[in-house]
Amino acid sequence: MLTNYQTGIYFDEMMKKDGAPKSHYQWFYQLVNQFTERELLNKHETAQLNFLRQGITFTVYNHTGGTERTMPFDFVPIIIPRDDWEKIEAGMKQRMTALNLFLDDIYHEQRIVEAGIIPKDLIENNPYYYSRQVSGLDIPLKNHIFLAGVDLIRDEKGQYRVLEDNLRNPSGMSYVFQNRYVMRQVYPELFFQHSIETLEHQLSELHQAVTSHLPMNANPTKPPTAVLLTPGIYNSAYYDHVFLAQQMGIELVEGRDLTVKDDVVYMKTIRGLKRVDIIYRRIDDDFLDPEAFRPDSALGVSGLLRAYRKGNVSILNGIGNGVADDKAMYVYVPDMIRFYLDEDPIIPNVETYSLSDPERLEYVLDHIEELVIKNVGASGGYDMLIGPQSEESEREEFKRKIIEKPHQYIAQPTIKLSRAPAYQEGRFYPCHVDLRVFVMQGKTTNVLPGGLSRVALKEGSLVVNSSQGGGGKDTWILAESGEQHA
Amino acid sequence: MSNMLSRVADSLYWMSRNIERAENNARVLSVQLIHMLEASNQETVDRDWEEILEICASAKDYYGLYERLDRDTLIQYLTISPFNLNSLMNGMNYARENARSTRDILPEELWEVLNEFHLDQKDWQELPSTRQHTQDYLKKVIKTSMTSQGVIESSMSRGTPYTFIKIGKWLERAEKTARILNVTCEKNRKETNVATDHYYYWLTALQFLNGYDAYIKEHPPTMDSKHVLSFLIKEETFPRSICYCMDHVLEAASKLEGGKVSHYSEDLFQLLELIQEEISQTDINEMDMNQLMSFLDHFQNRCSTLSRMFSETYYLIEPVHAK
Repeated sequence: MLTNYQTGIYFDEMMKKDGAPKSHYQWFYQLVNQFTERELLNKHETAQLNFLRQGITFTVYNHTGGTERTMPFDFVPIIIPRDDWEKIEAGMKQRMTALNLFLDDIYHEQRIVEAGIIPKDLIENNPYYYSRQVSGLDIPLKNHIFLAGVDLIRDEKGQYRVLEDNLRNPSGMSYVFQNRYVMRQVYPELFFQHSIETLEHQLSELHQAVTSHLPMNANPTKPPTAVLLTPGIYNSAYYDHVFLAQQMGIELVEGRDLTVKDDVVYMKTIRGLKRVDIIYRRIDDDFLDPEAFRPDSALGVSGLLRAYRKGNVSILNGIGNGVADDKAMYVYVPDMIRFYLDEDPIIPNVETYSLSDPERLEYVLDHIEELVIKNVGASGGYDMLIGPQSEESEREEFKRKIIEKPHQYIAQPTIKLSRAPAYQEGRFYPCHVDLRVFVMQGKTTNVLPGGLSRVALKEGSLVVNSSQGGGGKDTWILAESGEQHA
Repeated sequence: MSNMLSRVADSLYWMSRNIERAENNARVLSVQLIHMLEASNQETVDRDWEEILEICASAKDYYGLYERLDRDTLIQYLTISPFNLNSLMNGMNYARENARSTRDILPEELWEVLNEFHLDQKDWQELPSTRQHTQDYLKKVIKTSMTSQGVIESSMSRGTPYTFIKIGKWLERAEKTARILNVTCEKNRKETNVATDHYYYWLTALQFLNGYDAYIKEHPPTMDSKHVLSFLIKEETFPRSICYCMDHVLEAASKLEGGKVSHYSEDLFQLLELIQEEISQTDINEMDMNQLMSFLDHFQNRCSTLSRMFSETYYLIEPVHAK
């Protein structure tokens, strides 16, 4: 099936340069070779339909309104050997511990600023730094990051690197479960020879993590009432919200279902008001409470922040996390790990240049065609320039933008993102991939085994975001260590 | 789930009403498309369509958009028009949106049934509006409603969400039955001369309400107007009779309250019992068409009061604040 497959100059997850599969893909390779072309096509079709029928969609907005779309699914899984995964897991726990300490620090003493490691300006000028709203607050478990979605990539040597820390409202966890579900339904044969980490207990872990964030003034004799706060059915990640609320058995609420009385949050039920203790919100900070943030927000709940400050309700993820997962702050995460934990980072960053430094700026302007330029405030692959794939006019535009607002941009060398085979339209071809790893923190830290492998299905494309044509793959962590028996 | 969110309860109630309404309207239209073939003259056909419009939508809204009643325009208006709030397409879309915002508590299959209809919808819109396609579309609506009900009955726990779904369905049904009978009585009253016409009117009413087969088992096929009216108003065993639907609303509401009447639900139960009494005390054999029509009008008004009171009791709509 993969006879004409070329790994090229990239690191390939599955294939070796000589055209043979890597040892941890040996079984998979053999099993796939047993399928006929017709079977492959049928299975592919069935899998895509499965997502559509179940309405596992996200909404893309453009000038003509919203369209519901499914995320294309690719059946070639990303298989990660046990030892590699253990390193990723340790790296994620280390990174989240440091970032959480950082968040608690900058909303309290700011030791890291005093130590001269991070410039004060970088924090105070950050648009997501909500000092006025949440400084000095002692939040439950001192935990700011209940759920993180960390994007990892592999460079041309196969080294894992952190590309982004998503500490606000990372989405996509439902896809991990649905990808596995569809995979089991449509490709059961592939599971026969593999022993892989199950996802079964992960949602109960997530639920425990939610309910462990008891607010200070919660009634200790009653189990807490937790809710998932969604912006509603028009939000692009609505399916994610539905899935998580349903699987955790917590109420899915909208802003209009909640009300605050005497600094206590209630939900409006058919029997009147019921007290809410913990809110896992999927609404951004600035829309949370029109009283404290954007007054024009129709999604939020007036008075929520007052209730939070009084310790009457917990809000997950914490308010003000945006200052830590910002692309400008990203550069400093390795320093945070050294400062708070006195350890070296287990999983390194991608080399990144901050453009505030005039020398760097000059270098970047001279070498823009080799670099990737990103807006520190944007996400989802927007306002981004991929130098080697850009047109002259785009480069000029970015140069202009950089000179105008150097603080707003960072530059990174174009990484030769690793690739893996994808099967679409009847053939296998190499596509760039990344991996979003989900880290849950409550009383303990738990890394969901695997995560969401995202794939840029457009040949040659580096953008894996689902809003821009990216797809998803199942991710398998092999349960046994060492080589698979072939 | 006894403390269900008011918004969720509201969505479930309206999901259910929308599905039921779409099914009922689809059946009415489907029956009419067949009867049309046997109609004797154009005048009758036009009048029949006028009545269909009255049963399935609002004549006032229709004439706000179009100058005259044209069959193809009307079929389009009742099936896939985005401008008619009660078109089948809109009804099914509302039902899907309602289901979508309560997906976390509905059986997965129910969502899939409604979503499948939505996904096929695009294909329907592109097909030419031939009789065959229209009939197929109507069948699809009816099947979707029936499958939804099957999923609800076979997989939902008999708790609060289920009860709200059922109450929505019974109320919608009772109202539709009253509407259809009202239109039929009106026609009957206007034209008192030809016996075969009357036969045809009451037969149609039974078919609109999917009750012909059930009726024929109990009564001779003479289509005596009083028999048909008694059957569709007072027959306790027929699931679309007004009496049956209202009995079930009361039963469901009382289950919701665990058999108790509290201060907040007092008005609701009083009204439900009053309606039940009004139905049981009505002697259809003693009434002429005018009296029957005013009984049906009265009942339809009761239904809208009930619907409002039900919403208020469970905070389904925000209470109006005094300024």
